[in-house]
Amino acid sequence: MDIIVCIKRVAQTAEADVKVDPSGKNIVKDRLTFDMNESDTYALEEAILLKEKFSGTLTAVSLGTAEAEDTLRIALAKGADNAIRIKAEDFDELDGFKTAQLIKAAIKDLKFDVIFTGCIATDDYFSQVGVALAEMLGIPHATLVTKVDIQENKAQVYRELEGGLLEHLEMTLPSLFTIQTGINEPRYASLIAIRRAAKKEIKVIGASDIDQTGIQAGTVLEELFPPPVGKHAEILSGSTDEIAVKLTGIIKDKGLI
Amino acid sequence: MSEIFALVEHRQGTIRDITYELMSCGRKLAENASAKLTAVILGHNTDSIVQAVKSQAHRLLVVDSEMFKDFNSELYQITLSEIIKQQNPRLTLIGHSAFGMDLCPALAVQVGLPFATDCLGVEIVEQKIKVTRQMYDGKLNARVLLRENPGHMITLRSGCFPAGESSLEGVVENLDITVSSQPDYRKFIEYIEAAIGDVDITKSDILVSIGRGVKEQANISVIEDFAAAIGGVVSCSRPVVDAGWLTKDRQVGSSGKTVKPKLYIALGISGAFQHIVGMKSADTIIAVNKDPNAPIFNEADYGIVDDLFKVVPVLKNKILEMKQAKG
Amino acid sequence: MKNFITLNPEVRDAIIESGGDDVIKCYQCGRCMAACPWNLLDGLDYTTYRFCQRIKLGAIIDSEEKEEIAADTIDVFRCVGCDSCKAECPRGVSLSDVLRAVRRILVDFDSYPSELKSVVARLYNSGNPLGEPAEKRADWAAGLDTPQYTEKLDYLYFPCCLPAYDARARKVAQATAKILKRGGISFGIHGKDEFCCGEAVRRVGAEKVFQTAVKQNTELFKASNVKKVIVTSPHCLVTFTKEYPAYYDKFETQHAVQLFDQMITEKKISPKRPFEKTVVYHDPCTLGRQMGIYEEPRRILNSIPGLKLIEIPVFNRDFSVCCGGGAMGLWRDWPQDERLANLRADQILATNADVLCVACPYCLQMFEETLKSMNASIEVMDISEILESALE
Repeated sequence: MDIIVCIKRVAQTAEADVKVDPSGKNIVKDRLTFDMNESDTYALEEAILLKEKFSGTLTAVSLGTAEAEDTLRIALAKGADNAIRIKAEDFDELDGFKTAQLIKAAIKDLKFDVIFTGCIATDDYFSQVGVALAEMLGIPHATLVTKVDIQENKAQVYRELEGGLLEHLEMTLPSLFTIQTGINEPRYASLIAIRRAAKKEIKVIGASDIDQTGIQAGTVLEELFPPPVGKHAEILSGSTDEIAVKLTGIIKDKGLI
Repeated sequence: MSEIFALVEHRQGTIRDITYELMSCGRKLAENASAKLTAVILGHNTDSIVQAVKSQAHRLLVVDSEMFKDFNSELYQITLSEIIKQQNPRLTLIGHSAFGMDLCPALAVQVGLPFATDCLGVEIVEQKIKVTRQMYDGKLNARVLLRENPGHMITLRSGCFPAGESSLEGVVENLDITVSSQPDYRKFIEYIEAAIGDVDITKSDILVSIGRGVKEQANISVIEDFAAAIGGVVSCSRPVVDAGWLTKDRQVGSSGKTVKPKLYIALGISGAFQHIVGMKSADTIIAVNKDPNAPIFNEADYGIVDDLFKVVPVLKNKILEMKQAKG
Repeated sequence: MKNFITLNPEVRDAIIESGGDDVIKCYQCGRCMAACPWNLLDGLDYTTYRFCQRIKLGAIIDSEEKEEIAADTIDVFRCVGCDSCKAECPRGVSLSDVLRAVRRILVDFDSYPSELKSVVARLYNSGNPLGEPAEKRADWAAGLDTPQYTEKLDYLYFPCCLPAYDARARKVAQATAKILKRGGISFGIHGKDEFCCGEAVRRVGAEKVFQTAVKQNTELFKASNVKKVIVTSPHCLVTFTKEYPAYYDKFETQHAVQLFDQMITEKKISPKRPFEKTVVYHDPCTLGRQMGIYEEPRRILNSIPGLKLIEIPVFNRDFSVCCGGGAMGLWRDWPQDERLANLRADQILATNADVLCVACPYCLQMFEETLKSMNASIEVMDISEILESALE
């Protein structure tokens, strides 16, 4: 079973103070830690589990600048056999659509039965690459996969819908799955695997290796800006009844019910 | 006259709320661009859906087929690509939901439309389409321009476009399209209802969170009633999990989950810093605590200094009353 | 599971290079195992000396089984840095330094517990583990009339991130500032330009973040000519005293209890208001065992009229049992029966004291939380709060 997993190195911004840089189109990266995108860690683990079940080759692919190789090495340490970095620095105007086209070009010589990606990247919130890539490759896809059970050439796929509802699909291979967090428990890497991964060669693909005819972005980022503000605790006074009325009004005004 | 398409999203016979939000957004865009709004319905026995949506759009395109009894994004994609190629809408709107996420990028790529996902705002400015999106864990917004093209596709985030009143008289057109049967490579099998305990608090828009102030396990049912009334999910701080009253998947905090709901109601939670870091990014925070010095009040937008068992039942009733009045 | 150990000299060399050279001294006598507080817990077997043995063979976190790798990784991050092992070791091996060397490799590779990843990210971004804005670092002093530090003042009071930002711990910084003022001590505070001292983040293996802390703090001290620093946290004390001098050694640090003790001796302050309670004193590992400061806090408590000071039998002074707050223990989520703080709380409650006196913000937080969850009625107070209440 040959498997490809697409991973991304993202800034850990959930609990950080994020500022727009002077260009207005990027963030200030000082004082930010970076790590593998969360749903990608689950996608990677799912890929490794599948490889362990059927044996085969697992290739990790990432579009990113040189630091992305650190993230690819984590994938290698955890169980990927090969790693490919697509040099983000060689391409501009990268959006989900263009990224998918570049990944398609980078993996054109690879055989695969399954492709895993994360379901959403926390830096751009696109949820596009996996599905667009599947369409470009002409293979079926399923998003928000919370369980996938592959037997012979069939996959029982469970998608997580709103309200905890699950959608059970039956699919054939090759297919692409975008993986939801919580599907498994991502592993740690052993020290010996870390040492080996530190020395492993990562294939680097740049502009000179890709035929860019027809490759273009669908969108252009014009400007980043802080969202509109407002805050601090207003203590509500009055009888319990009066307070409840005030609160209900507040909740209603905010369109929450 | 150019058209804006809005895809009606329905599941198990019910139209999902996001559909009305799409319609509202679509109507506004249509007005500003001198265009018309067309609702697109793919379904089976679509009469009730058509009736519900008729006043929301100028035109309704309907494909009624047994194949659309349950959502299968492959079938939707095949049929919609045909419709879009025939009808050439200026813009197609789809909800950014499990349904929309599965459908939009593939459909847009197949038809060749530039697309943007999870948009909070859309505007058509001199034929150009610009959207507002969130990025970086929601810390920043982005203004994005879609590449020029006769047609575009956008998915909209739920809760960003208030559903509005509408009294249009939608003209219904049943499309004569042969719908293929489910492909082997992707077959819908069934829906499975959530088992109790399989709750992901990070996905809920409203969290009713409890802390030590809830005092004992028996009191949790009062909180659960309240959560049900307000349409929220019960979450908690660590002491509640430690005491074994709720399972770990409900825990908010540095060693639990980080949540960013639209509404976070903290009941009897003092606001220890490990908890605060897990919920401080919530849009609106309401805190109820007997202690006026509870640190949670430093994070909350609104505070009530009182016994949560006094406040909660009264609040629950007011909310139920309000929901009744809304109809 | 393999039934023999694979030799990986490369792993051993990497760990030694990363700062684990103490491992060579260990001859597996096992005394550290008796000393380690984790082994006081029923059902937990923290085989401390085996770490050294396995590292020398390069056979640590070496399994191919996912669960075994996870268990090993979690064990490497279990050590709280209390140094009980080092105190017992006939060769002075610092097991916490050895484990830190392993941690550095894992942190570099982003393969470590996610609760720790979040704290490290927060700390790196905002200069404190709570993720609070740097601008608010001096807010605790509002209304106290504490001057901004300049070189004309004798001391810089450096309160530690928890007292600076946390609502409970703030009272410690406030009490300390009041005592210093009452005693006529010439001091000031900095606030927003400070960064966390970095002691815990270094202990956990995030060396790059520690270096950022050192750089920012030493530049601040240099620029404002800081000569003497008073700290509330023994962790700030130990890193300023033992680790910072490698980078900048032009300042001296004292813990608040040392200065308070001096102030009482020199009659700059006289505790006169009675504190009619039994107080049990818990020796913080870092203040006591690591810095040798045992008697100053006891002298202070004994100088307060009406205060009856009692000891935890056996487990006091250098035998004190760790609260579990070190090495970012405050942010860890061990199962109920694997909590050092619960164990220590039992020992504390057995004394039947009215008040537990602590002298470290980590101990303060750990015990406040734990004793509350045990529904205990004992009050937790920092020594500065007790002393301040005794001043007229």
